Amino acid sequence: MMTSLFVKITGYVGDFFLDFEHEFNTNGITVLYGSNGSGKSTIISVLSGFINHLETKIVFNDKSIENIRIFPPHKRPFGTMFQNPILFEHMSVNQNLDYPIKRNKFSDQTVLSKEELINYLELGSLLNRYPQNLSGGEKLRVALARTILKKSDYLLLDEPMSDLDIKTKARLLNFLKMINKKFKIPILYVSHSIEEISQIANEIILIKNGKKITSGTVSKILNSNSFQRLIGKFESSSVLEGTLIKTDQLMNMTTLEVNGQTLIVPGRPGLKDNIVRVRIRSRDIIVSPVKINTHITENELVGIITKIYTEKDTAFSELVIKLTRIKIKKTSQILRARITTYNLNKMKLAENKNVYIYISSVSIDRQAYQY
Amino acid sequence: MDTLNFSSSDFNAVLITLKLALTTCFFLALIGTPLAYFLAFKSKRAKPFLESIVTLPLVLPPTVIGFYLIVFFSPDTPLGKFFILLTGEQLIFSFYGLVLASIIYSLPFWVQPLQSSLEKIGNDTLKTSESLGASKFDTFINVIVPLSKKGFLTSFIISFAHTMGEFGIVLMVGGGIHGKTKVIAISIYDHVEQLSFGKAHFLSGGMLILSFIILLTLFYSNKRSMVKVK
Repeated sequence: MMTSLFVKITGYVGDFFLDFEHEFNTNGITVLYGSNGSGKSTIISVLSGFINHLETKIVFNDKSIENIRIFPPHKRPFGTMFQNPILFEHMSVNQNLDYPIKRNKFSDQTVLSKEELINYLELGSLLNRYPQNLSGGEKLRVALARTILKKSDYLLLDEPMSDLDIKTKARLLNFLKMINKKFKIPILYVSHSIEEISQIANEIILIKNGKKITSGTVSKILNSNSFQRLIGKFESSSVLEGTLIKTDQLMNMTTLEVNGQTLIVPGRPGLKDNIVRVRIRSRDIIVSPVKINTHITENELVGIITKIYTEKDTAFSELVIKLTRIKIKKTSQILRARITTYNLNKMKLAENKNVYIYISSVSIDRQAYQY
Repeated sequence: MDTLNFSSSDFNAVLITLKLALTTCFFLALIGTPLAYFLAFKSKRAKPFLESIVTLPLVLPPTVIGFYLIVFFSPDTPLGKFFILLTGEQLIFSFYGLVLASIIYSLPFWVQPLQSSLEKIGNDTLKTSESLGASKFDTFINVIVPLSKKGFLTSFIISFAHTMGEFGIVLMVGGGIHGKTKVIAISIYDHVEQLSFGKAHFLSGGMLILSFIILLTLFYSNKRSMVKVK
């Protein structure tokens, strides 16, 4: 069954005007992306019933639930986790986990049992400890388990992992994907980290100054101009999706197939035939009109320049390159490259010209993540 | 120093004082707790105004409060008339008048420590609890009360001690009637006026030691998390 959620919020929050409307039609993970102060957290607070003064319409599975008297926060179908999650200090980890179970009114959802969650999130050794004696990462894992144990129909996670180290984060993100896939609980994930988005999102909503700019699938949004504008030139990047062909245990490298071409990335992000997403920064790409006949980098791709943006006030130009399809099935993926205008002229690059693209595997985000 | 130092009238005063302090604390728990909750979590615009009113008894001379209470408790006022209708007695110079007065002047001693303890818990904890499926009342009983145990203890002890020690207002509103509204503080005053220093010593020393023990208990239990008390 597809969970449907329609949200429309209009009104002032302080001197900030929020005007947001979206129809969530996915059982996957939707990422709400925007910079600090763009209204992301306000949307979560409105959904979970803690901000009530705005003009609001929330329709969940064909049922209006915005009325705060009929649906106060504790009766909403959401499992919300706020920024800097809080554990109850007077309860042990075990008692914290039992808190939502004792109050559970949404038991028709078949989600993980408490024991399974304890295993998955490795909470076994923490059960009798108190929050004061837990590290930040441990607290977060407990809070996440506790939110899931509410067995709600929709998870709302407000930048829950902003303070975590990369390794723990990657593990928890994978865990969220597993929860989402296996148990069909849709997740709305608020974030302003591009890394996080490219790892978990199925769908992205971009918001800026309280307004939705655009929304759509990951590859559509991450490669869109409005997204590139939002994140700024320095972070300018593209996301490629590839099928995992083989992993090299000894060298710790993985070979992906992207539009029939080969892309070698560091690490072992998944199993054979998994779809892997890789983010490549535009400034890490070397473009050449001729084939460079050395092993200068691990990766040599071919493509065609579809658009050149030359910046008037800087030394740079941005190239939009469509990868050449070797196998016909999938649509061509897009790469963005950032080079100096000086070099662009020297190489006499122009739109509709074929180019060779060189990417060092070192510059591919620390890990290419399983999707 | 023999048994004469502790007359039956003094014994009565001790009983009345304890009864007054306990009754007052009981009503403070009922009135002051929701007020502290409201101030800590709910009020925004009304907060400075309400806080000023709650704090007034701390800064006003006891005689000012006493004077206004006499005016409000007199049998001519609606409150005075209502009380006579209810009990057949007049409110002023009665034990219940004394309780009502004590509730008013001890209110800041209940509200302030509790409020600061509740504020430390913070709104995010409440939100977390509600988002996990607990109603506001459920949250109050199972999260707020256990987390602010020390705040409640402080409020109770300070209010209890303060009610026991108040003199001016109690004298004005209660009149110091034997066996009815005469508390320890007034007994001591009477003993000193009559130059019975032995009896005064006995009661005063008792109050001194009791107050010290109360405060010691309080600060000992708060040793780890200091609760600011005005």
